[in-house]
Amino acid sequence: MMEKWIEINRLKKNVDDFQLGPMDLSFEAGTITAIVGNNGAGKSTLLKVLMRLAVQDEGEIKLFGQLIDSEAEGWKKRIAYLPQTLLGCDSFNGNQLRELVSKWYPTWDQPLFERLVKMYQIPLTKKYGKLSQGVQQKLNLALTLARDADILILDEPTAHMDIPSKQMLLDVIVEWMERGDKLIIISSHQAEDIRKLADYVVVMKEGQLLGKFEKEELTGQFKQYWMDEFIPNEPIPGVIDRKNERILVSKCAEETESYLASKQLKWLRAETLEIEEIITYMLIGKAS
Amino acid sequence: MELPIRLSKESREPIYHQIEEQIKALIAGGQLPAGTSLPSIRVLSKELEISVITTRRAYQNLEYQGFIRTTQGKGTFVAEIEASKKEEVTVSAVYHAIEKAVETALRHDYTLEQIEVVFQEIIASLEKKGGHNNDGKMD
Repeated sequence: MMEKWIEINRLKKNVDDFQLGPMDLSFEAGTITAIVGNNGAGKSTLLKVLMRLAVQDEGEIKLFGQLIDSEAEGWKKRIAYLPQTLLGCDSFNGNQLRELVSKWYPTWDQPLFERLVKMYQIPLTKKYGKLSQGVQQKLNLALTLARDADILILDEPTAHMDIPSKQMLLDVIVEWMERGDKLIIISSHQAEDIRKLADYVVVMKEGQLLGKFEKEELTGQFKQYWMDEFIPNEPIPGVIDRKNERILVSKCAEETESYLASKQLKWLRAETLEIEEIITYMLIGKAS
Repeated sequence: MELPIRLSKESREPIYHQIEEQIKALIAGGQLPAGTSLPSIRVLSKELEISVITTRRAYQNLEYQGFIRTTQGKGTFVAEIEASKKEEVTVSAVYHAIEKAVETALRHDYTLEQIEVVFQEIIASLEKKGGHNNDGKMD
């Protein structure tokens, strides 16, 4: 059994007329979890609350088994957080930022930082404010990964990156996970991040948690059937969508198949759905 | 190293079982000799686009059945296995393939007699072409 490193209980946070939670959620060592949801679902707010950049109205958060409060900040060195935008850095160059950050983290891994800088060809003498969004993101990543913290929280790390840079990051993250006991939470809209990295998917909608699922728990349940013949438009257990008169989409393969079998309805082909299709069904409210 | 594993989106078999069977077939067929280093659970999970939970389950089952062994800190390797065990895997793979073909035929309402005719025809045509391979390797 893997150790719970982050435990969120009955968490609630109001920001203007938006409400996050209440929700319970936990994350275990050795796993990568992708947080997905529509824009404005509350993903960034959740990550900010985790990092104490915002304080919850109700509920508690435990890190490494300890309740976190603003007094003791030792846990902060065990978490590296990559926000969507880094504020107040514009007048510093990469070398200066490295100096600031590395002092703070006793586990700073200089060779890893140098490797990432070289891999992404990041100019360290140029001011942060003068870098393109993509290069800023690469520098942020190098500064975050090299902290070698136990927990890595990435808020849309690849949003502005080109295709090769994204591919390289996937390998870097896999390698980073193998450094020992590590935990990654990644908020992302990129299907590839979810497919190649995530063990678990947390689905959020309008501030509410729709659930945390192991990836194959979803792909094992959702299936699409090409039926042998026209299927009358009557309710079928598990079926959440019909793409035309002969294609059925089910969120519970077992239920649907036993119903079809009982009616002696045959299908030519049954196929699992891609994770992004499943997430879409959940977010448009057809599968929850 | 990368493993030539392909997961089927159509199979009813659970993913961990598909991985298990394919690795076993690669070992039994000699493509993965004893001592070959296997990818880590995290790397294989990325390649196959599945969770480490599923990959770990497949590796644990393979280890339990004696096909692979894990050395702390060094990684996972193909184990030395007996010829009789290899034979067992090969026989079960062949059975499995034919079973699937028969299922396809039954789904199209073939009778067992009709299936047998098709089977005999295929055998005959392969014999005529000399296309069957007899060196014991699986393709």
